[in-house]
Amino acid sequence: MRAALPFAALAFLAGCDGRQSVLSPAGRDAEVLATLFWWMLGGAVVLWLMVNGLMLYASRLRPRRHPKHLAEWIIFGGGVAFPTIVLAGLLTYALVQMPQQRAPGQGLTLRVTGESWWWRVEYWPDGATEPVVAANEVRLPAGSRSEIALAANGVIHSFWIPALGGKTDMIPGRDTRMSLEPVASGEYRGQCAEFCGASHAQMAMAAVVMEPENFQAWLQQQAEPAAEPATDEARRGRGVFLAEGCGGCHTVRGTPARGRVGPDLTHLASRVTLAAGVLPMERQALRDWIRDPDAIKPGARMPGYDHLSDADLRALAVYLEGLE
Amino acid sequence: MHWPHRYSSLWHMIAAPIVWAIHFCTVYGWTAAVCARADAPGAARFGTGLATLVALAAIAWLGWHAWLQWDYRPHDPRLHDVPTTEARREFLGHAAWLLAGVSAIGVIFVALPAIFIESCL
Repeated sequence: MRAALPFAALAFLAGCDGRQSVLSPAGRDAEVLATLFWWMLGGAVVLWLMVNGLMLYASRLRPRRHPKHLAEWIIFGGGVAFPTIVLAGLLTYALVQMPQQRAPGQGLTLRVTGESWWWRVEYWPDGATEPVVAANEVRLPAGSRSEIALAANGVIHSFWIPALGGKTDMIPGRDTRMSLEPVASGEYRGQCAEFCGASHAQMAMAAVVMEPENFQAWLQQQAEPAAEPATDEARRGRGVFLAEGCGGCHTVRGTPARGRVGPDLTHLASRVTLAAGVLPMERQALRDWIRDPDAIKPGARMPGYDHLSDADLRALAVYLEGLE
Repeated sequence: MHWPHRYSSLWHMIAAPIVWAIHFCTVYGWTAAVCARADAPGAARFGTGLATLVALAAIAWLGWHAWLQWDYRPHDPRLHDVPTTEARREFLGHAAWLLAGVSAIGVIFVALPAIFIESCL
C-alpha cells in the first residue's frame, strides 16, 4: 500500500497539464513564471536533501562531537550567507522580470470589467472609436502583446488566465491594467481569483488564442449585428425573448434588445461556454440556465423563467443557439 | 562625551534597526507621495537612492562602533553570561553588530525594486 502511494500521487500530476495550469504555459509571461517555479522547486529539493542529509550524517552516520569552529562556519555559511545570497538573487531576477510582465501592449486593447459573476469584455482595436462588445470569453491573437484594461463593478475581482500569465486585481472605482502575450493558439480557461461572493467559484471564462488572421476575421464577425433567425421556431424564440423582457437586461444588436445589465448576447452561440465558463454551449444547457439560473449560479441577478412552457423554452434556446 | 548609562541602555543595540525602519518609511512614503502627486518615477528613484546611501552610511557607522564595543577576539569564547559591566558591554556590542548586518540587508532589499522598476505602477 505505502509503496503504491508515490505512483498514486503521479496520477494527480496529470492535473498540472491542462487548460488552466501555470505549469503548461502558452504565453510569454506564463513561461517565465513556470521557469521560475521549476528552478525554485529544484532549489528546494536540493536544500531539503542537504539539510536532511546533514541531519542524517550528524545523528546517525557520524554521531560524535564535531569541531566547534567547523560547526560555526556551517551555521554562518548555511544559515546566513547562503540564504542571503540566494534570496538576493531570486529577488533581483523577479524584479528584472516584473516590468516585462507588465510591458505595454501593441495594437489591440481589451477592456474587461468584473461583474457579479461574469465578465464584460470590450475589444478596442488600434484606432477604434467604439468597441466590439462581447462577454464571458477572452480572445487574443497569438504572437503579439495585447493590452488589458481592468475594472470592476461593485466588488473586487481578479483576472487570471494561468496558462497565459499572472493575475491582476479588478477594483471598483479604479483602473488597473496588465498585458498578455500568448504564443500558442488554443483554448484555455481563466478564473476569477479573488473571492467576490456566492458564485465566485462559478466565475470562469474561456480564453481562446487564435492565429492573427483568424482573430481579425473573428473580430469583424463579432462587430456585425446579430444573425436573423433562420427557422420558424427561432423566430418564435425571438418573439419570446422580446415579449419576456429579456432585452431589459441583455443586448442583441440589430433587435430592440438594448439592456446593459447582463451580458451582450449578440453572438452568444459563437462562444465556447455558457454562463461564464460554467456550462457547455448546448441547447439543453441554455434551457436549464434560463429556467433556473440560481440553481447553476447561486445569487445570480437573472431571474428564473420557469413559468415558460416547454415549447417556449425550447424556441428561446433555438433562437439563442442561432446567434453565432 | 561621557555617557553614564552607555552600557545599560538597549538603544544603542537597536539603533541600526531603527535606521532601517526610518529608511523603510521614508522610501515608501516618498515614493507614494511623488508618484501620486507628480507621477515622477525619476524623483522616486533618486529619493530612494539618496535615502539608501544615507541609511547604509549610518548603519556602517553604527556597525563599526558595535564591532569595537563587542571587542571581538577570534579565540575567545563568545559568551557574555556573567553579570559584569564588561560582559554586558560585549553582549550589547555583539547583538548590535549582528542587528546592523540584518539592517543593512533589509535596507538593500527595500531599495532593490527602485533599481529595476522604472515606472510608478
